[in-house]
Amino acid sequence: MVLRLTARKAVRSGVLWGYVFGLYLATQALAYASSYKSLAERTRLAKEFEFNTGVSALVGPAHDIETVAGFTVWKSLAVLAVVGAVWGLLAGTRLLRGEEDAGRWELLLAGQTTRRAAATQALVGLGCGVAVLWSVTAVIAVVLGRSSKVAISAPGALFLAVAVVAAAAMFLAVGALASQLAATRRQASAFAAAVLGVSYALRMVADSGTGLGWLRWASPLGWIEELQPLTDPHPLALLPIAGFTLLLGLLTVHLAGKRDLGASTLLDRASSNAHTRLLSGPSGLYLRLARWNLTAWGVGIAAYAVVLGLVAKSAGSAISSSSSLTRAFSRLGAIGAEAYLGVAFLLMAILVALVAAGQVSATRGEEADGRLDHLLVRPVSRASWLAGRLVLATVALVLGGLVAGVFTWLGAASQHSGLSFATVVEAGLNVVPPAVCILGIGALVFGVWPRAASVATYAVLVWSFLVELVGGIVGLNHWLLDTSVFHQMTAAPAISPDWTSGAALFGIGVVASLTGGVAFNLRDLQSA
Amino acid sequence: MAAVAIRTEGLSKHYGSVHALEGLDLEVGEGEVVGYLGPNGAGKTTTIRLLLGLIGPTSGRAEVFGLDCQHQVVEAHAHLAYVAGEASLWPSLTGAETLHLLGRVQGSVDEPYREELIERFDLDPSKKVRTYSKGNRQKLILIAALMTRPALLVLDEPTSGLDPLMEQAFRHCVYEARERGQTIFLSSHILSEVEALCDRVGILREGQLVEMGTLAEMRHLSALTVEATFEAAVPDLSGVVGVSSLEVVGHVARFQVRGSIEPLLKVLADAGVRELLSREPSLEELFLAQYGQSAEPAAASAHAS
Repeated sequence: MVLRLTARKAVRSGVLWGYVFGLYLATQALAYASSYKSLAERTRLAKEFEFNTGVSALVGPAHDIETVAGFTVWKSLAVLAVVGAVWGLLAGTRLLRGEEDAGRWELLLAGQTTRRAAATQALVGLGCGVAVLWSVTAVIAVVLGRSSKVAISAPGALFLAVAVVAAAAMFLAVGALASQLAATRRQASAFAAAVLGVSYALRMVADSGTGLGWLRWASPLGWIEELQPLTDPHPLALLPIAGFTLLLGLLTVHLAGKRDLGASTLLDRASSNAHTRLLSGPSGLYLRLARWNLTAWGVGIAAYAVVLGLVAKSAGSAISSSSSLTRAFSRLGAIGAEAYLGVAFLLMAILVALVAAGQVSATRGEEADGRLDHLLVRPVSRASWLAGRLVLATVALVLGGLVAGVFTWLGAASQHSGLSFATVVEAGLNVVPPAVCILGIGALVFGVWPRAASVATYAVLVWSFLVELVGGIVGLNHWLLDTSVFHQMTAAPAISPDWTSGAALFGIGVVASLTGGVAFNLRDLQSA
Repeated sequence: MAAVAIRTEGLSKHYGSVHALEGLDLEVGEGEVVGYLGPNGAGKTTTIRLLLGLIGPTSGRAEVFGLDCQHQVVEAHAHLAYVAGEASLWPSLTGAETLHLLGRVQGSVDEPYREELIERFDLDPSKKVRTYSKGNRQKLILIAALMTRPALLVLDEPTSGLDPLMEQAFRHCVYEARERGQTIFLSSHILSEVEALCDRVGILREGQLVEMGTLAEMRHLSALTVEATFEAAVPDLSGVVGVSSLEVVGHVARFQVRGSIEPLLKVLADAGVRELLSREPSLEELFLAQYGQSAEPAAASAHAS
């Protein structure tokens, strides 16, 4: 029962992300093959990046990037490892702790299932999700490898897929274990995210050329790097990966049997003094409930921004000295650090848009779980409740953009990269309108078809990301490109932001929100 | 003219082909305590969610203290408080924080009364909501509703999950509210609770209000249960007007009588009765009569089940 339930959800998500992983690999490989046609160009690129410690710290050292295979691994592995890790830890905590918090396990455990058996079944179900994630990624990788431009052997492609999903498997286990230790899903996610943060930091130090390379063995993300798929495969590095995953899985099952349902292994503060400063109304309540989540996003964005700022100068100079890249970037009208950040800020835009999608999800959650009832049966209008949330979420998004800009500038300034504060902060604010647009679309779906709100919002986000990814290498029809919320966003700071289209995106967001608000006012409340 | 707390006119709610509520005409006067009975799925919660404006009617209208339940939601809600049977609250807030929030949202709180309620329901408000049992969560929303001393209390199976001691405390609060002239609309399927608390009772069945009246009025709907012991052999009672379900064991006859008991009394007087026991139907029996499991099946909409 638990197995079927967990597997169904994990597999569904595994298929989706398998496509994202596969397409990401494909776009990197094909983009490289088409923009660096001659060996001379490739060698020049390789020379630039082989010893670039800044970029190496960010995504790992470059091996054999004069080959399609080497470049693809270098550009994809570290990025997909982090994405996979986040997927794994969220899926792990959602399907183990989230389901339990929602009380769904109580029903199942009242039957013949023991707590330990239920945890085992849930882990196996999650394992099915990873297996599917691997299969989809592997199939795309093998097909990609058969292209004459890419030419990767089938076993090589399969091993690449293993390396790409290894982080997902390990952090699924981390999420599962954290679910046993923590008292709530949120706390479990925070624990698991901290493990990911430490892993990333250790690997970064190890790859920054400070003679601490051995630290790579102390980080799960380092093990993945040690696999070196396609360039110099080390299957032995699979041992710590498998061992880590298995050990955490066993610990999860062991702890699941030892604790009570709904309880935590670590001490949990069941009572606390009343903090009522924010609790004066629906908007205050929203701030109170969302503050740690938003703060965590802020810290994550700030950390990523600092790293981008730190490597901007050296990555930018590498771009400048590569003739074909310069050609590509000069079309953007910028070279050097600004050009690099112009491209890298797409990911920043996605991070901020993820915050927006998260707020839509939370808004629907309040209604679906019936908590909204307690407010709406009192003298609170639906309009004021929704408007309060959306306005505060928009403020949070603007702050997210500011944090992105300011911290990128701080990182860049420490390297004397000569970027002006105003330019970088503008670039930070430039990522806000697409996020507001996502928030508005989410609010619209919430008003019209609440049960689809969360899924539809994430779908718009993923779709936009894929369109940008694929559109970067294949000339897509402009109608198709226009369906991406990121397409109207200029690549600031490489190009100065186009505030007219920014305002248009913002406007679409506001109009969609208003329409959603009107629809919400007219419809029935719908529980989950 | 007594003011009206709740009035609905032809209130209906359809979900596709399912008629969750059909043409409800209801009037609850100010200060009345009205019970609202029906099995699961009869439309009790649908009625209440319509009254609260959480869902909109397919047709008809509803008002609370003359304020439209759909278009004057905020004004109407200033006068009422609602307790749901299923309390899903914010797990990371403590009990005290939840009460503070809900009190501020409502606007006015009788603070001494809130403290008294916390005491009475034996709730530890410093605990986080996620550590509360179902019963404790239920107490929390009961306190949140009662502490504002609303003119109208809308209660939807409010005692689910409460132990008998706490149910007693709840009844005490309802008596108090009634003394103060507050109107109470109590949906329940616990008959003893409704019997103990309510002036009037409505019975809902498959989306339709099939009975509405005081308990005394409704008792006429069901038969009187009679047990008669005779000195000699039991006479033939099967022909007497109104008598049914006749059982004879030795000198004792058990049966039910409906309508006027005069014809029966004549027969009994002539036959030499030694003992006569008769009992009014409990709400339970009325309810069962309404749902066709004893006595005769309820009229039009009766189903074979």
